[in-house]
Amino acid sequence: MDRRGRPPHALVASVGTPAVKFLRQFAAVVAVVAVVVLLGLAWNRFAPSLPGEGPGGEVAVAAGSVAKAQPHGPNAAPGRPVVLRGKAPPGSAGIRINGGGTPALDLGDLLQPVNLAVLRYNAELEAVIIGAVVIASASYRSLRRSWRARTRDSPPVDTDLS
Amino acid sequence: MSAPPATPSAPTTTRRGRVTGRAKLDFWFDAVLLVAYTVVYSYGFTGDVIHEWLGIGIGAALLLHLTLHWDWVVRTTSRLLNPRGHDKLIWLVNLALLFAMTLCVLSGIAISRVALPELGIDTTLQTPFWFRLHVLTAEVTVGLVPVHVALRWRWIAGVGRRMLSWRPWGHPR
Repeated sequence: MDRRGRPPHALVASVGTPAVKFLRQFAAVVAVVAVVVLLGLAWNRFAPSLPGEGPGGEVAVAAGSVAKAQPHGPNAAPGRPVVLRGKAPPGSAGIRINGGGTPALDLGDLLQPVNLAVLRYNAELEAVIIGAVVIASASYRSLRRSWRARTRDSPPVDTDLS
Repeated sequence: MSAPPATPSAPTTTRRGRVTGRAKLDFWFDAVLLVAYTVVYSYGFTGDVIHEWLGIGIGAALLLHLTLHWDWVVRTTSRLLNPRGHDKLIWLVNLALLFAMTLCVLSGIAISRVALPELGIDTTLQTPFWFRLHVLTAEVTVGLVPVHVALRWRWIAGVGRRMLSWRPWGHPR
């Protein structure tokens, strides 16, 4: 019995077992995600336009995939299906364009050098961003530490003007 | 001023300096998530089938990731108005990432050509809006995910160093 006269299992139930806590947190997460999903659906319903969208048709849809074409670029024209989702490494021959119909699971494509270059490019891009943020963060912490040490060691300012 | 907790949700080490099971789970789960995200973003590498199924899997994994760190979310949100509160920048990045990632998965499901038809679900959302939203949110996430990771570099470095350090016969150094 606890101090309020409840049996021990009642105390445990009021705190919540780890499983109950996990389920409660999971429900909260699902609720938050559901709010974002509803916002997305409302966006599509009431204002289906996106930032950066111009009247010239910068974005074209071809064969069920998004083709981001530059309307005034040398290699792309509005409506021309060129680049699919994902980043193409600079200077590469291009990325695989999936044709129409039902796509098959072709694992052999993963080993093709041109496709592997896409993965390598994205990994390098992420590594560069991570490195930049880490350097910036470490520099900021170092500056703050040295500033704190300076202010702590400096003698008190004499404000007595008499 | 007290230092912020080294890990978002749980103690990292035991009294003897060993990495806790929870920290190991966070470390490896997040590492796998980062690799999976990099692969799924490389659409030219994966093709349709892997891209869609892995994307759906990442969506489910993100729910779990958020659940595991929900304590941090609640704690940091409640301290946002505190001028001495920590983690404001990380909180903002994480909020932006939540929106971008959720909308990316949602739009990906909407324009699915393989996964949903295989499940017998016929989506009627194949509009240019969802295609464009998918591209836009994917590009936002590829910028935010590395920042999200890098802002926790001290925790990652600390846990990684402890886990990967060699300890003969299990004795701590």
